[in-house]
Amino acid sequence: MELSTRKTLDRAFSGTGMFSICLMTASLLVILLPVFAKGIKAFVFRETIENRKMILEQFHRGDSAALDIEWESARTARQPVYDAMQAFRIELDTLEGSRRRELRSSFREVESALQSLLGPEPGSTLSPLLRNRYGQTRWDRAQVKLQQVLFREAWDYSRPGEAGTRQWIPRKQTFAGTRLEPMFDHLETKLDSMLQPRWTFYWRFLSDDSRDSHLFGGIWPEVLGTLYLTIGAMLFAVPMGVIAAIYLTEYARPGRVVQILRTCISTLAGVPSIVFGLFGLAFFINTLQVSSSKSVLAGSMTLALLILPTIIRASEEAILAVPRTYKEAALSLGSGTWNMILTVLLPAALPGILTGIVISMGRAAGETAPIIFTAAVSVGKPLTLLQTLTQPTPALPWNIYNLATEHAAVEEIRHVQFGMVLTLVVMVLILNATAIAIRARIARRMKG
Amino acid sequence: MTQSRILNVSRDLILSRRASQLQRLSSLLGRSFLFMVTSVSVLAVIFIIVFIARDAYPFFQIRGFREFFTSTNWFPSADPPEFGALAIITGSALVALGAAMVAVPLGVLAAVCLSDVLPFSLRQVAKPVIEILAAIPSVAYGFFALVIFAPALQEHGGIILTVCLWMLALPAALLAATVISDMVVAGIPPSRRPVMRGICWLTLVGGAVFALVQGSGHLLDLTISSGTNALNVSIILGIMALPTVVSVSEDALQAVGRDLREGSYALGATRAETLVKTIIPAAASGIAAASILGIMRAVGETMVVWMASGNAAQIPTPWYNLLQPVRTLTATIAGDMGEADHVLGSARYHVLFAMALSLLLFSFGSNLVSEHIGRKFRSRQAGG
Repeated sequence: MELSTRKTLDRAFSGTGMFSICLMTASLLVILLPVFAKGIKAFVFRETIENRKMILEQFHRGDSAALDIEWESARTARQPVYDAMQAFRIELDTLEGSRRRELRSSFREVESALQSLLGPEPGSTLSPLLRNRYGQTRWDRAQVKLQQVLFREAWDYSRPGEAGTRQWIPRKQTFAGTRLEPMFDHLETKLDSMLQPRWTFYWRFLSDDSRDSHLFGGIWPEVLGTLYLTIGAMLFAVPMGVIAAIYLTEYARPGRVVQILRTCISTLAGVPSIVFGLFGLAFFINTLQVSSSKSVLAGSMTLALLILPTIIRASEEAILAVPRTYKEAALSLGSGTWNMILTVLLPAALPGILTGIVISMGRAAGETAPIIFTAAVSVGKPLTLLQTLTQPTPALPWNIYNLATEHAAVEEIRHVQFGMVLTLVVMVLILNATAIAIRARIARRMKG
Repeated sequence: MTQSRILNVSRDLILSRRASQLQRLSSLLGRSFLFMVTSVSVLAVIFIIVFIARDAYPFFQIRGFREFFTSTNWFPSADPPEFGALAIITGSALVALGAAMVAVPLGVLAAVCLSDVLPFSLRQVAKPVIEILAAIPSVAYGFFALVIFAPALQEHGGIILTVCLWMLALPAALLAATVISDMVVAGIPPSRRPVMRGICWLTLVGGAVFALVQGSGHLLDLTISSGTNALNVSIILGIMALPTVVSVSEDALQAVGRDLREGSYALGATRAETLVKTIIPAAASGIAAASILGIMRAVGETMVVWMASGNAAQIPTPWYNLLQPVRTLTATIAGDMGEADHVLGSARYHVLFAMALSLLLFSFGSNLVSEHIGRKFRSRQAGG
């Protein structure tokens, strides 16, 4: 091969390596950026007057006098809409058969779309479902609903053999000539003053309960459940993991027993997470009966088993990284082994052990499969500490799945889903950043 | 003062027989306590096998082995029910294969780049990227796959695939053309070489570009009926398995040692030649172990496949058609347990444990293999 070709190949080889690293970074960005961009909308968004009303009535926060004034002006803006509807209802009875039937069904659609946009018509009975009591609380969702009032979705199947294409037919055409017709223009131009949108920073998204299955309010039960599960798992796993690491590094003599121990630890690390979930169900709940059904306790125990290998390995590495001279100095001063471990070895290895603990905390917080059968429920109240022994809890990872796939109104609560994913990802990223910072400090100390 | 302290210490050191026995006993107790805590992980492994197998056994007792492993009819709630898991096992294998096709080449290349090519400062930047990729919860990956990636794939799948094809194939074609034309001209007199090489290179590149244009025409016409399919899951699982593959194979590459590298450089090899002909073969077993671990991660992953694989219990036709929805073992366990929970003791409940048992046995098997390979690799490195 010629030298120039070899050089090209060499450069190309380095290039492909760089390319794969760039691709990895790019995929990380592609995954994280939408989550950040859309998740932030759960916290920062344009709230409508309906949101302020909902917060005042449901969470008892806000300035009721100011709201009354705003509400007054919103009502004045809405009045023409309701007037037009009332007038149309009377007009509808005077129309002839076929046109009346056609318009009536179309009018029903307008009515329900309007109700979901602006809330119930004044004077109607109060619905038990919260979602029927308020209009759109977010300006971006209000725009979508406005679209549904103004346009009718239709499918065009005129070209045979092809999939239908979607068309938006203005309802103004349908109602042309009736007394409802001006309502559409009015709605389009005056929606601003009807809903009075305003930018808000809803940090209480993290600390509010959810109302009406996440259509309103925040995600506090999920956040709290995740914290309980994570901390519970650490309570079981950290002592066991650190003790096991001490035994393996300081006491165990290399041999068959240690070989078996190590194989088991790496086997445990390789068990699929869903199998941990089944095991937790079959062992902790059905056999040991730590609780009569799903509970935070059973979930924590299952998660603890899952992260045990990680903690053992990290602690072991941290202990092995402590220089031999430390140990020998302590022993030569007459300290016993136990004493040496507690006063010299563990303090020196602590940052490394902490790194492992923090990383496995992130893992425990984000795991879904092990808690499906052992701890998680879709809807629930925030638990007190004592209830965690017997009660299941909502948790961020499980509810992300649940809201994204099984909720009745998946599209309407996209912002909640993204908000949850953002919260979970930020939690995990903060934990990992802590680990990286601790490691950087260790590296500096070792150098200096 | 000093005298008394010394005396004190010596009194502690020289123990009576009884005290010495006591101390030995307590140390023994302490040791056995530590040992017991350590063996929790052994107990856990044993208990996991026992409890999963105990609940899987009734299924095989009721239905036998044959249907489970050879039939593709998965109708657990029909009357009479059918429990053929072959399509589901194939689904697991298919997405794992797809994930391996993404993760192994990318991961090994990235590991090579991290261990041998990048300067130290850039390496410090790339490491956290890998750590964050490993840290993102699987449900967040699943959410991304379902909410963002699946619609994108459904609407612009052809374009995405075409861009990928060009990005991968064009550089590869250029390189291959360079090498091949170089080989072709090796036999002719030096004066005519540049011209011949140019002609040869142009023909090859022209042919490759023509083929690529043809191929991308086909790809652009592709209609993807649903974005939640095996391809989607394979790509996401591949990204999830990347950190494992990268870090384990980087360790293996680092373990090869400087002497082999320096020897190869001394013989005049370029960096690429050193890596491809010397270092990667030397680290091959470590890289194999890394790939196995990555595949294990993909097979054991639940949330992504549950959310984004389409959950259709069928073998795609033809079997390698990744654009069709599949269903995997993990997703079936997660999805069906909620319904099967009420019928405790039925075949429907126990079949899920049978699936878990197959998963478990697979992961044990591949774990043992990768451990074995890794141990052999390490002992060879230590030996010389």
